[in-house]
Amino acid sequence: MKITINNYHAIALWRWNLKAGLQQHQPANAQPTAEGEEEEEEEDDDDDDDVCGICRVAYDGCCPDCKTPGDECPLIWGECTHVFHMHCIIKWLDTESSKQQCPMDRRPWVTAGAAAPPPDAPPAPRQAARVA
Amino acid sequence: MIKIWSMKKNEDAAAKKKPKTSAAQIRVQKDLTELDLPSTMKTNFPNPEDLLNFELTITPDDGMYKGGEFLFTFTINSNYPHDPPKVKCVPKIYHPNLDLEGNVCLNILREDWKPVLNLNAVMVGLQYLFLEPNADDPLNKEAAKDLRENRSRFAQNVRTSMRGGYVGDEVYADVRPKA
Ligand SMILES: [Zn+2]
Ligand SMILES: [Zn+2]
Ligand SMILES: [Zn+2]
Repeated sequence: MKITINNYHAIALWRWNLKAGLQQHQPANAQPTAEGEEEEEEEDDDDDDDVCGICRVAYDGCCPDCKTPGDECPLIWGECTHVFHMHCIIKWLDTESSKQQCPMDRRPWVTAGAAAPPPDAPPAPRQAARVA
Repeated sequence: MIKIWSMKKNEDAAAKKKPKTSAAQIRVQKDLTELDLPSTMKTNFPNPEDLLNFELTITPDDGMYKGGEFLFTFTINSNYPHDPPKVKCVPKIYHPNLDLEGNVCLNILREDWKPVLNLNAVMVGLQYLFLEPNADDPLNKEAAKDLRENRSRFAQNVRTSMRGGYVGDEVYADVRPKA
């Protein structure tokens, strides 16, 4: 049998690589006891794990000021391991009331890193080939 | 592919024409769906189209303010959640943490506000003021002084004030539920 593909649609999915970002930045932040407990607590809190605490939009979505998710609206990590849309945390840190503190734990905000789609570990694209 | 891009452009243009839901509105909407209030608190939207201006009624079922009905207005500006909601108590009440204009002294509405807090946290905080009025950092100095110096006199004053009576030189609002 011979098949001729006349046409196909490629579909790709992407996500921010949150795990990689966190692992990358955690060693610098290896403080014992109290912090360990706090992190465990956060992990229990599954529902809120995937949304930016400031705007409550999914990390894979974009902040309310942007139109499309992606490189234009990246994520940013604090050394405290909290993650926000970069635009959301910048807006907060710009306010006087923020006192330059992380809005989750009120520790001084220190940027640990920003997310770009990981070049080494591309998310598995889901491809749908349609035979027409 | 080219076709898809041009379709997308048309969509963008259409999106621009529609009145844009503001970031504050989107966030308030999320906060409202997350509300988990006890039966002692009820929200009311005088204008259902306007999520940024609404009312909250607190009817404490315990403590010295039990038996009263306390109406608050919430005003949320376009910078929410970076700015806290503005909350005012409508009736004039005798309370160490409320002034005679209805301004509220609650840490999370002021210096301890942070954008990860939500409306539920604010409402629960407000209710807490009625269960545990706090003589430190007062807005009504006379009420705070009474609370600090003589708790039973303070409780008596609360009862008098809630019936619309005088405490000192001030007459307070009758906050007993109507009918
Ligand atoms: Zn955000
Ligand atoms: Zn953005
Ligand atoms: Zn933090």
